[in-house]
Amino acid sequence: MSPQSRIPDPDRFKPSRRVLLIDRLMTKLISIGGIGIIAAVLGILAFIAWQVVPLFGKPEVAADGELALPAGDYLMAGIDEWGELPFALASNGDLVFVPVGGEVFKRRVVDGAKIECIVYRPSDKRLLIGLENGSVLPVVIDFKRNFQDGEAGSVEPQIEIGDPLDLDLGGGKLTDLSFAESDEARIIAAIVESGETHQLKAFRFTRKNTLLGASKFTLADSYELGGLIAGDPLKLAVSGRGDMVMVANSEGEVFYLHLEGDRFALRQSFSPFADTGAPQLATFDFLIGDTTLAMSNMAGLNRNFSLFIPEGGDERLFGQTKEFASLDATPTVLVPSLRNKSFMLVAGDEASLRHHTTNDVRWQERLGFQVAHAAINQKHNRILFLDQADRFHLYELDDPHPEAGWQAYFGKIWYEDAPGPAYTWQSTGGTDAFEPKLSLIPLIFGTLKGTLYAMLFAIPIAILAAVYTSQFLSSRHKAIVKPTMEVMASLPSVVLGFLGALWLAPLIEHRTPSLALMVVAVPTVCFLIGFCWSRLPIPIRRRIPPGKEFLVFAPVLIGLGFACWHLGPVIERVFFVVTADDGQRVGDFTAWWYQTTGLRYEQRNCLIIGVMMGFAVIPIIFTITEDALSSVPESLRSASLALGGSRWQTAWRIVLPTASAGIFSAVMIGLGRAIGETMIVTMATGNTPIMELNLFSGMRTLSANIATELPEAPEGGTLYRTLFLGAMVLFMLTFLLNTIAEVLRQHLREKYKTI
Amino acid sequence: MSARNDKPTGSADERRAAAGEPMVWLSGMGLALGLLLIIGLLGIIVRNGIPYFWPKRVAEVTLVQGAEIAGIGGQKFSGELRMQRTKRDSGTEESQFYLGNRDIYGFSFKFVDDSQIAELSYPEGLISVEREEYGRAIGYPIKLVLADGTELAASDDEFDTRLEAIIDEVSDRRAEIKHIAKGKIGKINRKIDALKFKEIEARKKFVEPSDKLGAALDEIETERARLEERYEVLEGELNELYELQEKDHLIYRISSGQESDIGLGETIGFHYPNRLGFVARCGLFLSNLWAYLSQDPREANTEGGVFPAIFGTFVMTLLMSALVTPLGVIAAIYLREYAKQGPLVRAVRISVNNLAGVPSIVFGVFGLGFFIYIVGDGIDNFFFKTKASEGIPTFKTGGLMWASLTLALMTIPVVVVATEEALAAVPRGMREASLACGASKWQTIQRIALPAALPGIITGLVLAMARGAGEVAPLMLVGVVESANELPLTTEPPFIHMDQKFMHLGFQIYDLGFQSPDSEAARPIAFATALLLIVLVVILNLAAIIIRQRLRKKFITSTF
Repeated sequence: MSPQSRIPDPDRFKPSRRVLLIDRLMTKLISIGGIGIIAAVLGILAFIAWQVVPLFGKPEVAADGELALPAGDYLMAGIDEWGELPFALASNGDLVFVPVGGEVFKRRVVDGAKIECIVYRPSDKRLLIGLENGSVLPVVIDFKRNFQDGEAGSVEPQIEIGDPLDLDLGGGKLTDLSFAESDEARIIAAIVESGETHQLKAFRFTRKNTLLGASKFTLADSYELGGLIAGDPLKLAVSGRGDMVMVANSEGEVFYLHLEGDRFALRQSFSPFADTGAPQLATFDFLIGDTTLAMSNMAGLNRNFSLFIPEGGDERLFGQTKEFASLDATPTVLVPSLRNKSFMLVAGDEASLRHHTTNDVRWQERLGFQVAHAAINQKHNRILFLDQADRFHLYELDDPHPEAGWQAYFGKIWYEDAPGPAYTWQSTGGTDAFEPKLSLIPLIFGTLKGTLYAMLFAIPIAILAAVYTSQFLSSRHKAIVKPTMEVMASLPSVVLGFLGALWLAPLIEHRTPSLALMVVAVPTVCFLIGFCWSRLPIPIRRRIPPGKEFLVFAPVLIGLGFACWHLGPVIERVFFVVTADDGQRVGDFTAWWYQTTGLRYEQRNCLIIGVMMGFAVIPIIFTITEDALSSVPESLRSASLALGGSRWQTAWRIVLPTASAGIFSAVMIGLGRAIGETMIVTMATGNTPIMELNLFSGMRTLSANIATELPEAPEGGTLYRTLFLGAMVLFMLTFLLNTIAEVLRQHLREKYKTI
Repeated sequence: MSARNDKPTGSADERRAAAGEPMVWLSGMGLALGLLLIIGLLGIIVRNGIPYFWPKRVAEVTLVQGAEIAGIGGQKFSGELRMQRTKRDSGTEESQFYLGNRDIYGFSFKFVDDSQIAELSYPEGLISVEREEYGRAIGYPIKLVLADGTELAASDDEFDTRLEAIIDEVSDRRAEIKHIAKGKIGKINRKIDALKFKEIEARKKFVEPSDKLGAALDEIETERARLEERYEVLEGELNELYELQEKDHLIYRISSGQESDIGLGETIGFHYPNRLGFVARCGLFLSNLWAYLSQDPREANTEGGVFPAIFGTFVMTLLMSALVTPLGVIAAIYLREYAKQGPLVRAVRISVNNLAGVPSIVFGVFGLGFFIYIVGDGIDNFFFKTKASEGIPTFKTGGLMWASLTLALMTIPVVVVATEEALAAVPRGMREASLACGASKWQTIQRIALPAALPGIITGLVLAMARGAGEVAPLMLVGVVESANELPLTTEPPFIHMDQKFMHLGFQIYDLGFQSPDSEAARPIAFATALLLIVLVVILNLAAIIIRQRLRKKFITSTF
């Protein structure tokens, strides 16, 4: 061997460059990947929050240009569905259209005759013009969008002037007009000035729909309604279906005339602003859905009255449900939205966009010009003002979720058709005019209610079982018992829900007394057995070695369950006796419960949820509690036993207090699981969002609500985002509970280390 | 020792049990109750699930004179006795029968008061024929009417073998029909659909009419004509097969005396329920079980098998595992090996742990909002522009990919926690030995730590699979359906169809129990499906538990 070869290579301990390269590469890769994955997972909450944020935003309203009109006297202003073609009716009978970025053009609708008053209903696309000669001219104003190569083009008006209707006005002058039109009938109500006083008249037209199409409207009835009201009629509003004619008189009293068959009757009169200094009404109109009347007085105060059946009544009457802050001047214009329960009130140069349901002023601003007329387009994204100087002012409106907000989700709201403020969840209805009721409180209540009953069932069983397993059970049995319980934790909840709904619910529907008996009898009997047993002489006692007591209970419990099951009906016949329809006294718990408490008994009730969700929660609480109890340092137990403490004393006074934090954390985690449980509650309850603690009724939880409603919720809509809000509440609730549990457990681990 | 056993010693105080003994018993009750509840629950599912496969005898019920039951139309009917119960209001007993013959009666199940039943008999001649629609046909066979007009009376010795042969033949033909209708014609339909989009694209590309557009359209048109021609050929073949299916008939008589016939084309199998011995019953039980596991569902999932649901669950779980493993393991390695341990990492660790407790429906909400409506929308607008512009979503709707991803996200915490624990349990000495030998950090992780932690990682993965397989709530939002035409995995490229909606065992249970039009008929199969799902999940969990116990033992011995 040459001398050189004996000198070791100085680089022999250096790792190869490839190894170093790979090492560095992997460090980077794993760091980036790891951080990325963790960020992505934690980003779930961020994403959900991002979806929820728009719900709480204020609307954005931005001026979007002015358009000049030819000088003239304008009676109304309107705008098409897309907000691109504002128009106004001039007093000379011209409809003047001012397209955004286009030439002004006119369409003559009235030739010659003087216009006395008009009424425009964008929801019906109809304009009714009252003429000097006493006739009324119906005009249909519709819009069509031209499409070119699939691209949206200009908007064109489509105007259809109907035949003038000659109304018998007795030669008076029309001062206000309102109407309703359906396929078969048309109601026109009018206030006619004759001399100093005003008269209220109504006309009903009917037509027949034949195979050849609709025939012409013919006058069926005319009504003098002056006798039904008091005072001097001033303003009118007719509901869209034509069954309600609302009249306000000069003293600020409002009369609710109802069309029953072919007769009008006074149903209610009320003075919305009687308690204020200015009782006379300034504006007044129905909001979409014709259930709410938005009104303002001369002082700018705004109150909304809705129809509902009052406590003890049997008819829908108006009652005040909302009041909004005053505007500075007398309101002149009231524009209901065609999309939701928003409305705009304008007084002088101040415009205020309000939402009825949430009682919220969405937007309020001084515009810097005096408003004569205003309109909101059907898509609820453009506002049009016509000022006194004959200029249109267009505003961009971005308010996709007016019905949302803290008040809507967590506050009590007086909804339409409800006798008082309430927490209600009812997200979808049949028509566009439906008022969404989005209170999360019933859902949170339902969630907590289900959780409460589940925990009542699960905690005692789980903790007792855990105490026994960790403290008294022999390790041979423990090796079987623990995995069994753990496997139970993995039972798919859909199976539990299925069993709860289709097996347990019908089974115990009429056996509630049996169940109640079991709840009382099982622990009592078991305790008594233990008590008696411990009084027996030792040789007998020794037959059952410590740690095997639970085996004895298997037959005992089965027997006890069987006995209670069959004793239940006996108890029912003795204690829960009700008088049946045929006068016989029968034992029937469900009927008894209803008669005694006035609460319903549903087949799929909280009892089912409690038991089935208990199944899901017991193993979780059991496992964690058992772990916490088992890891109490052996030295503590030994010390206690050595000092003469009995095994129960050791468990109760030493082990349990030491591990109490662990038990608490187990309960927290169980709680988290119960709160988020979806399939069991979806399947085994009626899913009715009610708020009562009744053990025998169902509920709707946040999670079940998401599972049932999200697949049908349109993307990006209020309901969609509200369900995301529900998910966020769930996320935060469970995350919080789990964090508390985790912190407690870590604390406990530290404690064990120091012992 | 023996002296102590014979008679008690010590004072009376000592002989009295230690303090709190009754409480020990009370806690023993807790455990006994818990265990009984589990065993009872599993027992109920087994008790209700297994009979679905067990061939039952068919009773012929003779009603008492004058008794009349709506819809039966006679004094006699045949059916399987399914349930007996006491009526609550009158206290009388009633029995539920499965009658079959829904085409004749219009219903499958009937409750009959026991007082109306004069006699129950089990005639050996009753045949039970399983068919594709209307449940089973139960009655007395009369004769076979064959295609060539010949008849074969039921009393003939050859009758059974002949019937069996025909049913075999018919089944083969049915498979062929399915192959043509679903496979070949389906393929052509998909191609024709693709051509439609091609045409739209071409029209968009060449806005002005030009030679190029003409050429492109011509090409599409010839292709379409070619496909339609093939379609017609196949349709002809199909019709021929259908005609062949129709040709043989079985004439039978139901107990009330009414005669009826079944086209044998729709039959699946037959047996004489009252002639079977125990062994034959076991055989039929197994064949029913196999049919349940391997066949497609029929009659709105209330009959037939659950193969597509098993397959869907399987593919989805597998895909989810393939996604969750790398993600979870990398995150865990980072947290345990690379991240600087401190309050921040501890907070992150707690957060990741806690995500395991976040309700699954929240992940479903995220999957719908993010994967489908945002990522899916992006994919559709980028890759499937034409289809998207026609309003047909490809990925902007629930599907296999989104379901797997959502569940993967949901189960990441399980894998992260398990992997971290396993990595932490690798003895420090092993790492240090490796580092001392000159290995780099990555080499140590790769060669020492990861192999040692492998059982732990697998435990986590199996637990994740068990959770994923049993979860239904998020899937309802991201792509599971009650009935899917195609399997998500086929022999046609791209083989695995990520955009396909799929069936799932758990959802099947929900659907059968709550959406099914005939919940009475759906109950038995729903129990069977619940049993199957539980078996699947329990096996996965037991596997995890066993692996974990082995892992513990291994480290007890290897710690030094």
